[in-house]
Amino acid sequence: MTTVENTAQVPETPQTLKVKKKRMPFLILLSIAWIALVIVVAVFADFIAPYQYTSINLHNRLAMPFSPGHLLGTDELGRDVLSRLIISIRISLLVAFGATIISAVLGISLGFLAAHFRGAVEQFILMLADFQAAMPFLILSLSVLAFFGNDLPLFIALMGLYGWERYARISRGLALSASGQGYAGAVMQLGASPLRIYLKHILPNIASTLIVSMTLTFPEIILLESSLSFLGLGVQPPMTSLGNMVGFGREYMTRAPWILFAPAVLIVLTTLAVSLLGDWLRDRLDKNVH
Amino acid sequence: MLRFAFIRITRALLTVLLVITFAFIVLRVSGDAAISIMGDDASPQAMEAFRKAWGLDKPIWLQYLHYFIAIFHGDLGHSMRGGGPAFDLVMSRIPATLAITLPALLIKLFIGIPAGIYAALNRDSLIDRSVMAAAVAGFTIPNFVLGLVLVQLFAIYLGLLPTGGAGGWQHIILPVITLGISGAAVLARFIRSAMLEVLSQHYVRTASAKGVSWPVVVRRHALPNAAIPTVTIVGFMVGNLIAGSVVVESVFSWPGVGNLLVVSVASRDLAVVQCILLLVAATMVASNLIVDFLYGVLDPRMRNPSESKGK
Repeated sequence: MTTVENTAQVPETPQTLKVKKKRMPFLILLSIAWIALVIVVAVFADFIAPYQYTSINLHNRLAMPFSPGHLLGTDELGRDVLSRLIISIRISLLVAFGATIISAVLGISLGFLAAHFRGAVEQFILMLADFQAAMPFLILSLSVLAFFGNDLPLFIALMGLYGWERYARISRGLALSASGQGYAGAVMQLGASPLRIYLKHILPNIASTLIVSMTLTFPEIILLESSLSFLGLGVQPPMTSLGNMVGFGREYMTRAPWILFAPAVLIVLTTLAVSLLGDWLRDRLDKNVH
Repeated sequence: MLRFAFIRITRALLTVLLVITFAFIVLRVSGDAAISIMGDDASPQAMEAFRKAWGLDKPIWLQYLHYFIAIFHGDLGHSMRGGGPAFDLVMSRIPATLAITLPALLIKLFIGIPAGIYAALNRDSLIDRSVMAAAVAGFTIPNFVLGLVLVQLFAIYLGLLPTGGAGGWQHIILPVITLGISGAAVLARFIRSAMLEVLSQHYVRTASAKGVSWPVVVRRHALPNAAIPTVTIVGFMVGNLIAGSVVVESVFSWPGVGNLLVVSVASRDLAVVQCILLLVAATMVASNLIVDFLYGVLDPRMRNPSESKGK
């Protein structure tokens, strides 16, 4: 676990930083390889999946893994577990990517608004951020799902509310310090509009911190999505997601544990890979994010 | 100190107000209550009578006011499925939830805090590496996976413990372990980094340089300062006592608040969901308030808000 122990905030001189940057730990390479594999599988899911993920074969129910034609066996309706797994990866990643992007855009915009207008606007945004940070997100999202019901776009939008307050705090803080650094003031003197200053000058300068923050939030969204889907309140059948598969596989746990453990292992490995990468990026690029 | 208390309490009340408003807006936006309760085929006269009876024909601010007053009278509506008052239903589930979350909290504290401190003081030792590895595992393995693995192992293969449900003390073990282990690992990692941060400060070096023995430096200088961030995360865990076990309760079919919430969300029993939401918000706000006061006690600098500004 070479990467893990480095997460402590030890002051590093630029020289040691440079030396360490070149050597990428094996575990990080492995994580990147895994993430790449998962993304490829998600993108080309339709070509890779050996069967239609919804196609039912009642003659071949609960087939064992490695049985002919079904590498990971079949589930209670004779559907190919591997094919379902591949489609689930696509849906889970779609939700996680969508939510991360929504949350980042929302948070960064609000952070910049707070930094630009100050005063009452800033106080209001900070109050919302405090509120969001204080409430357990699972409970909030459960109540919204109870009131509004569930379909995929709404679900992604809801997940997109997760973690916006972190981006808002970071971008506000960094925008405030950036305006004090002169370059923002200089462009403003040249007559650039505030929108241009924030998007073309300040944003690129604080992007590394925000990317680290996104990498750290991403696995949390995967976990959140899979928890909600596990509870039967996230992605709805006939669509399937990783948490969904675990939730439905639970009923066949004694007879067919592979239905449940195949997606479970995938969730764990993917969140592990992304968070190891995130920790590593944070140590290398940025010490502001916690 | 009085000013400090005043600001914190005002902010806590504002947060409660925000949650109540959120619940009210969501409730009003989510559709016509008359239709959702009476059904689509109720006669227009009946609908009108219903709206009058519930005050839905009044202006929205008056509805908000009534709603607000009702909440402070403990009137949170009736469960659509059970029929009884939602508040009583939720309250009846709280002991079951606390029966697993309180022991889990103790496990987190009694394993997490010493392990974190030990890991920080013995950096790169075997224990340190194990704590870090466990913390990463505790974060990346979702509760439902850990719970199901434990069920598979202890209940199905070994047959030592029940797979779920409520009953004797045996039923408590697996949920408590599931909640406790991952929480302990995450807490240990947090405390470790808080301790390392403090140990790298100048005052620790100064204390060592002037000849204070290392155990005394740790006890008198490092631990009290590391306590401040620790209070935050422990406060969050305490605030989560009621709501933090939703997934685990569902895995083990444990009849607590979390299970009630999941069932109510699935059947859209709005009164119960809203009641739990408000209860959780109140618990969170209360524990945050306590944390804020503990800050004031632990760190005199925090008592003056003008100095802690900027972040």
